[in-house]
Parts: sequence; C-alpha cells; structure tokens
Amino acid sequence: MPRNRTVRLAVLGSSVQRAAPSGFPSSRSSALKRRIVVGALVLASLVLITVSFRSTALDGVQGAGATVLRPFEVAAGRVARPFRDTVAWFRGLVDAKNENKKLRLQVAELRRQVIVEATALQQNAELRKALDYHGPPSIGSFRRVNAAVLANPQSAIDDSVVISAGSAQGIVPGSIVIEPTGGSEDVGALVGTVDRVVHNVARVMLLTDNESAVTSADLANPQVVGVVRRGGGSSNVLILDRVPKEPRVTVGDTIITAGTLGQGPLRSKFPRGIPIGTVVSQSNSDASLFQNIQVRPFVDFSSIQSVIVLVPKTSR
Amino acid sequence: MDALKAAVVLFVASLLQLSVLTEYRPFRTASVVLVALLSIALLRGSIFGALAGFLTGLLLDTATLGTLGITSLLLTVGGFWIGRYGETTARDRFHAPFLSVAVVTVLYAFGQLLLRFMLGEPAPAGLVAHGLPGALLLNLLLTLPVYALARRLFPPLELGDRVREVRLLG
Repeated sequence: MPRNRTVRLAVLGSSVQRAAPSGFPSSRSSALKRRIVVGALVLASLVLITVSFRSTALDGVQGAGATVLRPFEVAAGRVARPFRDTVAWFRGLVDAKNENKKLRLQVAELRRQVIVEATALQQNAELRKALDYHGPPSIGSFRRVNAAVLANPQSAIDDSVVISAGSAQGIVPGSIVIEPTGGSEDVGALVGTVDRVVHNVARVMLLTDNESAVTSADLANPQVVGVVRRGGGSSNVLILDRVPKEPRVTVGDTIITAGTLGQGPLRSKFPRGIPIGTVVSQSNSDASLFQNIQVRPFVDFSSIQSVIVLVPKTSR
Repeated sequence: MDALKAAVVLFVASLLQLSVLTEYRPFRTASVVLVALLSIALLRGSIFGALAGFLTGLLLDTATLGTLGITSLLLTVGGFWIGRYGETTARDRFHAPFLSVAVVTVLYAFGQLLLRFMLGEPAPAGLVAHGLPGALLLNLLLTLPVYALARRLFPPLELGDRVREVRLLG
C-alpha cells in the first residue's frame, strides 16, 4: 500500500498533456460514419468507372452535364482571352525580328509558287471537266463545322481536347478535325479525329495520342507511303513509320494524308491531301527494314484555340 | 455554408484548370483543382474532403468527356486522406499544406497512370515521371496563395483551449 501510494503521488505531482481537441468529431461513431462515407464514395467511383467504361448507359447523363458546363467554359475562355493575348503579345515580341526576316523570304518564295500552282489548278479543273473525272473524296466533299476548344489536355498523358460542337452540328465519331491556321490556307493541317460526341460537345483524339495512326504520303514523292503516329518521346515530333528504304525521303518534304490506296475494301477515313507536317530528320539503320523518319507537325498541339471539323455532306 | 463556399471555389478552380491554365503546357501536370481541394480538406476534415473530391472529380470527368469515376476515385481518396491528416497530426503546422500537396501530387500522377493501365489504356510512365518535378514545383508554388485563400474562406474550426493540462486525481 505505501509503495502504491508513493507511485500515485509521483503521478499526481506531474502534469500530463492531453492531445489538443481537434475540433473534428472523433468519437467511435464518427469513425464509423467516416468509414461508411469514404467506402460508399469509393464504391460509387468504381461503379461509375465500370459502367462508363463498359457501356454507353451514362453517355446521356454525361452529355447533359457537358452541355450544361459548356457556357461556363466558354465564358471562362472569354474572360481569360485578354490575359492570354497579352502573354502571346510579349512572347511574339521576342521572336518578331527573326521571324520577320524569315517570313519575308518565305513570302517571296510563296508568291512564285502561287503563280505556278494557279496555272496548274486551272489546267487540272479544265482536264477534270473534259474527262468527266470522278476521283476519291477530297476535302471539298466535306462540310466544315467551326468549333472553339473548350478544354485542353488535362495531364501529361492526356492527348485529347474538348470542342464546342457535337452531334447537333452533324459531327460523328471518327470525323476529321483540322486546324485552320496550320498548313496551306485552303486546307488546314490535321489535328486528329473525333473520339466521343454528345449533343453540343465532342472530344477530339489528337494526332499525338498513342492510339492515333494515319496513312500518309510524301507530297514531293507520292510513292513514299507510311503511317504517321506518335514517336517514343516528345509529342512535338511524330514519326512516319513503315516506309521502305527506297525511295528515300528528303528532309524538308511535306507529309500529307494519303487517302485510300488501291481498290481494297478498307477505305481510309481521311481524304487525300491534308497537310500533317514537315520531315525534320531521316536516317537508315541496318537493324530496321524501314527508314527512321521524324515529322514536325504543322499544328502546335499545346495551344489549339479553334478547329474545323470535316463532316460528310450527307450526314445532315 | 461551408459546402456552398467549397462548391463555388472548386467549380471556379475547375473552370480555370479546364479552359485557361491547361493552355500552358506546364499546367497540364500541375493542378490548381488538386491544390484547392487539398487545402479545403486540410481545413475541414476527411468526410468533407472525400465528398468534395468525389464531386469535383465527377465535374472534371463530365467536362472532359472522360471515363466517369476515374478522377472521382483519385480525388476522393486524396481528399479523405489529407482531411484525416488535418484532423490528426497536421494541426496548425506550417508545412502541412506543402507536405500534403507534394505527397498527393506524386500519388495522384501515379494513381492516374495505374488506373489507365488497369483499364487497358496507354500509360506512358516515362512521360509522367518526366513531368513530375515541374508539377511538384508548380503545385507547391500554387499552395501558398491557394491555401491562404482557403484559410480565409474556411477559418480553422474553433479548437477551444489549445493545451489542456489534466491532473490525475486519486
């Protein structure tokens, strides 16, 4: 007894700090409530993933949600536009002098080309008319739907953008998307294809997506045909794959969509002649049957503001 | 009232992220939504954090027409975990928001990668690893203003007497 008493006295003499109250409920029942809530939310997320991934049951709800959000996204884009323009203006100033010199040279070269091409176009039109020629579909066979980009890629591994036009404008999954400012003025440059569509919104899978592949040809050397797809590294450079070692591709050549080749049943969804990019490097290795060709795309996939969707004229 | 304020803050952050910030390449890896969510979760606890994370994820997946539930799952777990950290050991520690953001940024990036891999979608780990240092830096830079704003909007809950001495009585 006296021994116990001594110990108790020692305890009484000291002060014991209790953990500060957190201000959050911490009883056993709240712990249970916490577990139930987080468990239910995780379960709901897993159910959503499963249903959304395996079926189209939630597409309607998601479409309605996306349509509701669309005006807010457009408004946010408009509010941000002056700031964006200011940043672009300052960025432009840095390169302006060099770019000006380069562009002057380019303009002189292009003027010469325009004269030659205008004559060739006129001749081509006359000959087509005379022969009553019916060729494969060209860009002219499509109706153009202009759309603004609502949401840019959301992570380093995301290669899609959301645009402000959807099935209401005649867009269907697989529709071709081009950028108005890239490539030659008439045609635009290839951006990608439509991946998902809802009423007023669509998602575009960019050319830089791992699952994207386009049959392409060299404009200067039409026998060179391969598949343009994402390379292993940066998305700023694509590769032209499956091109045999002969004939050789030259650095600086323009790569365009090849359209449908031959008479097989599998037809390309891309019409011939949409510019994709310029060859920036070409090499051969003994280990490979094909040339190693890198293509710099005309489109800057990091800052797409607006796009044109090519919709078959019959779809509306 | 807190729920309404959190809804407005996270909605604005989502719009900012979706339409404005991601136009600039570095912000594709950094995320103002993640930072805002973690700040709120830290100040309001695990249940609030988990619910806010779930709904914000749903909003982001809907707006990007992505697979519903992926972002919700990641943000629910992130919000819950950091909320729990706020309820327990993180009280009033200066480094808590920075530590939370840093840890969750890394886990969020790899969680996203893992989910994509499990769904059979391309999951280039190299790209994620390459962008991670930039994402960490930007998210940490965003933490200071975002957490300061969140602290003004969601003042820490009344804790009563900070330290209580308890005398054990016979």
